[in-house]
Amino acid sequence: MFTYSLSGLEITASADVPAEVEESETTARSAVYQVLASFFGPVDTEHYDRASRGGWAEEIEKAATLLPYAIDTGPEGLSTEMTLEEYAAERARVFSDPSEEDHLLREATYASEPDAVIPQVTREYDYFGLSTSTSGSRPPDHLVTECDFMQYLCFREAATSSDRLRASYRRAQREFLDRHLGTWASLVAVSVSQRSPKDPFMTGVERLASFVRADLAYVTNLLAA
Amino acid sequence: MTTSSREHRAPSSDGPTGLLGGESANSYRARWCWDKVTWGTHCLNCLATCPYRVFSLGNEVAFEEQGGTIDPLSAEIPDMNPLGCQKGGAWSLQLKSEDRVLHPLRRVGERGEGRFEQVSWEEALKEIAGAVVDAIDEDGPESVVFEESVEGGLLAQAPFLRLAALLGAVTLDANGLVNDFPTGQHITFGKFSCASTVDDTFCSDLILLWHSNPAYTSIPYHHFISEARYRGSSVVTIAPDYNASAVGSDLFVPVRPGTDAALALSMCHVILAEELADLDFASSQTDLPLLVRTDTGRFLRERDVSRGGSEEVFFVWDASRGPVAASRDSLHLDGLGPSLRGSGTVELADGTSTSVTTVFALMESRLEGYQPELAGQTCGVAASTIRTLARMVASRRCKILEGFNAPKYYHGDLMERSMCLLLALTGNWGRPGTGIQGLALAGLDGYLLFSMKTKGGAEESARVLDGIDQAVASMRERDPDATDEMLGNQLLALAASSGTSAPPVFFNYHHAGYRETWNRSDWSDPSMEHSFDTYFSEAIRRGWWGGVARPAASTPPRVLFSVGTNPLRRSRGGRTKMLDDLWPKLDKVIVVDFRMSATALHADLVLPAAMQYERVNVQYPITHTLRLSFSDAATPPRGDSRTEWQIFSALARAISEEGARRGISEYADARRQTRRLGSLAENFTLGGSFEDEEAVLDEWIRDSAGVGTLPAGTSVDTIRRDGSIRFTGLGIFATGLSLAADVSPSEVMTAFRWHVEKGIPFPTLTRRAQFYVDHPWFIEADEHLPRHKEPPQMGGDRAFALTSGHSRWTVHSISMGNRQLLGTHRGRPLVVMSDPDASRLGIIDGQEVLVSNDHGSFSAMARVTPRVRPGQLIVYNGFEPHMFKDWKGANEVEPGMVKWLHLVGRYGHLRYLPFGWQPVPADRAVFVDVEPCEMTATGKDGGAV
Repeated sequence: MFTYSLSGLEITASADVPAEVEESETTARSAVYQVLASFFGPVDTEHYDRASRGGWAEEIEKAATLLPYAIDTGPEGLSTEMTLEEYAAERARVFSDPSEEDHLLREATYASEPDAVIPQVTREYDYFGLSTSTSGSRPPDHLVTECDFMQYLCFREAATSSDRLRASYRRAQREFLDRHLGTWASLVAVSVSQRSPKDPFMTGVERLASFVRADLAYVTNLLAA
Repeated sequence: MTTSSREHRAPSSDGPTGLLGGESANSYRARWCWDKVTWGTHCLNCLATCPYRVFSLGNEVAFEEQGGTIDPLSAEIPDMNPLGCQKGGAWSLQLKSEDRVLHPLRRVGERGEGRFEQVSWEEALKEIAGAVVDAIDEDGPESVVFEESVEGGLLAQAPFLRLAALLGAVTLDANGLVNDFPTGQHITFGKFSCASTVDDTFCSDLILLWHSNPAYTSIPYHHFISEARYRGSSVVTIAPDYNASAVGSDLFVPVRPGTDAALALSMCHVILAEELADLDFASSQTDLPLLVRTDTGRFLRERDVSRGGSEEVFFVWDASRGPVAASRDSLHLDGLGPSLRGSGTVELADGTSTSVTTVFALMESRLEGYQPELAGQTCGVAASTIRTLARMVASRRCKILEGFNAPKYYHGDLMERSMCLLLALTGNWGRPGTGIQGLALAGLDGYLLFSMKTKGGAEESARVLDGIDQAVASMRERDPDATDEMLGNQLLALAASSGTSAPPVFFNYHHAGYRETWNRSDWSDPSMEHSFDTYFSEAIRRGWWGGVARPAASTPPRVLFSVGTNPLRRSRGGRTKMLDDLWPKLDKVIVVDFRMSATALHADLVLPAAMQYERVNVQYPITHTLRLSFSDAATPPRGDSRTEWQIFSALARAISEEGARRGISEYADARRQTRRLGSLAENFTLGGSFEDEEAVLDEWIRDSAGVGTLPAGTSVDTIRRDGSIRFTGLGIFATGLSLAADVSPSEVMTAFRWHVEKGIPFPTLTRRAQFYVDHPWFIEADEHLPRHKEPPQMGGDRAFALTSGHSRWTVHSISMGNRQLLGTHRGRPLVVMSDPDASRLGIIDGQEVLVSNDHGSFSAMARVTPRVRPGQLIVYNGFEPHMFKDWKGANEVEPGMVKWLHLVGRYGHLRYLPFGWQPVPADRAVFVDVEPCEMTATGKDGGAV
């Protein structure tokens, strides 16, 4: 069974959301977004442990088992030999700017109209009964939040028995990828590469970009069929 | 859309540069400076939804220009660009008009005295809340009355409709107020939504401008008429006066006012007599082959011939098989060869027999009275012209561009039924370039869904849609042959019976003093066998208007809300009548408007509304353009003005608080449904989810995209970027389904294609385009078939027929305070009359004339012109009463008569649907006299001469 877990978003609507659902191609997609959301989240001991023992690769491989298309799930580049302190410092160097934490992990960084991004993504979340987490300070256009949203949409698609809702969640995934996450995931990789990052961060952003690209193509084909 | 990258153009500081140099140049250039560009449209009741780019500098709108960004459908069809007119192009000037209301105002003198004081929003809302709670407490919520509006956009209307629904108040159906609804089309087709996209006009070979003057009223689309002419199409204007559209026509047919049915029926006569008719089309699409009993004049029904048979199964006479039940699930004949002419005998279930004939035979017999030589004398058109025109219609792909004029005649329904018959006999609907063009609202299904939602979001939308599916499935079980459109109508009727919308005829009869007027037999149709009262009572007694005949006679109106509707200018019956008969009954009259209208001048409280460019909005989506255009907030609202969403959500809160203060937490409405004042504010915003209108609009758009009427993924963000977007579907509700057409991204949308191509039945009693109405009242009135009737002598036996039409310079009275537009015409009301009449009466151009009849009078400046036919006067619509002497406008001479036959209900498709079938007041061909006032023609210096 697959259980969803949101770290950047909270459910606001009084929706009857099941806690878990039988694993499927759709939950596999949800699971990969879940792993990616964790990977780009803040560094703590758990995060570091995974990196130091190759856990990220294992999680991606496990999550992607039922994925309806192929992605790179190999372990290469997803572990580190850095210390926890070095690891945390490297993450900050790669993604943050002096003026803004996680600068390169925010959609507004790449948008032509940065001020418009947060209202836009917030409206997407609102429409599907979600709000950005009140307990954390992660902005709505953060990569983790957007991955969370995709995780949720995929999960709801898998969980619903309504054809109408299934189609609705599916369309929402395509539009969100097409208009938001899919437009800048590859740009993260380009920007990060200019900072000569150490692994697993470089590999992480590359895996993110290729997964999002493949997922968008998949959902687009699914809707066209 | 905000164009931050665009350079801010500062005024030039260079010296003189040619003709326009120095300060003048700077001043001129400063006019064209901007630092922001947004999309705007004006949400006017022309419904054109033209996308404009709005250029702002700081908090001021500098100017606007037509967008011109609409993609062509194909290389063969001209595109819609640029969409717009001078009213839209001058909108920004109106933001600062002198008639703008900028602060909440409370009356301090007598009503209409013109004395107001500025009050705070808190004070104003508290006072209104007090009046509303008083009314509810003492006389029930139906004593609170809202006028429905189509002015100001959906985000102006939705808030007060929402509050009215939550209160259990009454909203007066907009069509019953403005009578734009083509009644004859409804009688014929079971619907009034018959409008194709305007680019479909280009596909016509013959365009009849009949009851329309598109050179004035359809400026954004008029180019399709010219482009069709370049393609070889002929354009014919049929009108009493040689109007602006006639100038660009190939043929002008000057019909006497109110006699269009005679003209149309005479053309039908010619078409049958000369064997030009497309009888296969008529046999398939219409009721012309159906059998009628000669003993009763009623359709032969299954119940007549077999015990337990259906009341709604009808028969044709098959050439080889005799009487055969007509299919209820398809218009296609499928091997049947129905006889159009002739008669036979049918055995009835009770063992007797009766002779039957066909609707066609009866029609043909009736048309004998419309030979061109006879009808020409009635309608004032030469017999040769009638014949020529009939042959043109029969041989070409013909479209009638109708507009909203015919329904405003007392017998407009007969005119329209006759015009539809002309199209039926010539195969002219359901193919590109054909049909009759009125109005159709469709597309933004999210707007309709919103009122059914108890919370926001996709999941709730799915729940609501699932509920609709279940309701439709249940209805389909009872009537397996019903089309989606018929079931949609049933759903709408169901919603209406529990909603707030009510045909205004009942309100006007009981509370606004119209009963006496409508019972004037000398102003009514002479064929009425009984008094209006008798028919009215009969209609009520029979329950034809059950659930919507509200408010009851015993419920006095206490509070009236007018949100941009301006009843004192508009009401047929006149301002004086409203002030004398209705106003004294009202504790509180509340006007929400951005301008000081005639009604605002007589209000107790005037609340300033934000204008377009100061708030987000969209207009009613209509099928003319099939587009949704967005109006953004380019600047903050001026003064203290607010959006209607803000106003009515704050009022909901104030009413909740007032209820709590008085200990009134709940009450029962007229349907014994419990209403809760305590949760009013929370319910208004769906628990706080919709505190602002942008969230509401986003929800409408997303839900519309969800059901497929807008492209997937459309949101307020995408439309803010793109400005205007084409609908991808007409919707799942009855309004959209009634177009009976698919939407293709590369083709014009032609209404009724499903009827012709797929054989999908019409939503009428007979499931065919119905020209025979066997309702006893129609038979009694000899209107069971189309015919001509002279307009009744509304206003008395007077010499002139007064007509009207929308002007070129304003949409209703909206732009009457726009100095730029006022400067493009004489800037005051005109009585347009013919040279010979003026000469005979000693009236000269520019002279003040008195127009009067038994109902009232007004005076205005005469405009003497050869383009108006003798015996006709025209006063164009839109002038405010206070632009006339003594504040008496042209509606003072309009009694506002309604046709008694339109009280018929529960006869197949003749039943109330919101914005649909109902009695509407007539205002065309009112009879008046005209005479010169004292010699006060205006001289060049503005003084009297």
